[in-house]
Amino acid sequence: MSREPSGVEALLARFRYRPDEESGGLTELPAASVEPDRPPGTDEFRLLTFGLGGGWYAVALGTVTEILRARTLTEIPRARPPLLGVLNLRGTITPVYDPSLRLGLAVSAPPCAGPDSARPPRAARILVVRTALGPAGLWVDRVRGVQRVRPSALERPRGGPTGGVVGVLPMAEGSCTVVDPEWLLR
Amino acid sequence: MSGDSQAVDVCAFWVGDAVYGIDVARVEEILPRVVPLPVVDAPEHVEGVVHVQGTAVPIVDLRRLLPAGSPPRTAKPKVILARLGRRRVGLRVDGMAGVRRYTVAEIRPAGTVPGVLAITGDECRLLDLRELLADRPAHRRPDL
Repeated sequence: MSREPSGVEALLARFRYRPDEESGGLTELPAASVEPDRPPGTDEFRLLTFGLGGGWYAVALGTVTEILRARTLTEIPRARPPLLGVLNLRGTITPVYDPSLRLGLAVSAPPCAGPDSARPPRAARILVVRTALGPAGLWVDRVRGVQRVRPSALERPRGGPTGGVVGVLPMAEGSCTVVDPEWLLR
Repeated sequence: MSGDSQAVDVCAFWVGDAVYGIDVARVEEILPRVVPLPVVDAPEHVEGVVHVQGTAVPIVDLRRLLPAGSPPRTAKPKVILARLGRRRVGLRVDGMAGVRRYTVAEIRPAGTVPGVLAITGDECRLLDLRELLADRPAHRRPDL
């Protein structure tokens, strides 16, 4: 029984678990549909609308798992600009991003992480969204509410979604841009 | 001759009429009943995601990646929550077949079967999970 087939150890090296092994190439999942979801039995979409700067934006309600009152985040040294900091969400470390940078609204994110940061504005909220890599937070100025819209009311860009913009929804307060939350994190 | 360093601990399970194995160190949990949330545009072998302890974990149906067949009647379908690098993935299998310990001498290379690295003396096929789940059409079930 002392015969050892050549190469078996090399095969077993691939078999054995290593915490630092590459998991790239693993089927990348779209974490949640970019498209607004429909409640069963209706043909209406549900969107969560929120305010950023002076404009209104929306994401599909199904992508949002939770809305948190904005709180001071834990800072990350040398965090890249869209990343504001991290948040301990019931034990899960959740990165929080500033979507306004991606939308071209603000030049620099206001400091809202670390001990020196100002208290977050009262209306500010963190939308916790599902992503392929776990939950992530989006820092928004205010949340307006859930909007039910008929598919025909959503004006879509000609030729499919461009960038992360799924469509534009005309509202009484001005138009509301429907975006892909994952695009805001990139 | 085989000390503990030579031993290979395998979590064995049924998929179709064959027994496959993954490194027992990969296995985090066996989930009895899992109803995944469907994901739009997911590959065919991905059933959806479930939330496990706050993170979304994709559920992969191994029965769609490996040859079909009838599992033994006593097998109870489970989902194995397995580690893949720093990620986790749920593997839908037809039934568990226990934890087995092999020596290296009992294991022979599998040849060119996609996703299978080696075969043990009792015909347990050791899977290359990373290769199997890599999103490449060459490793889809051959008879599809």
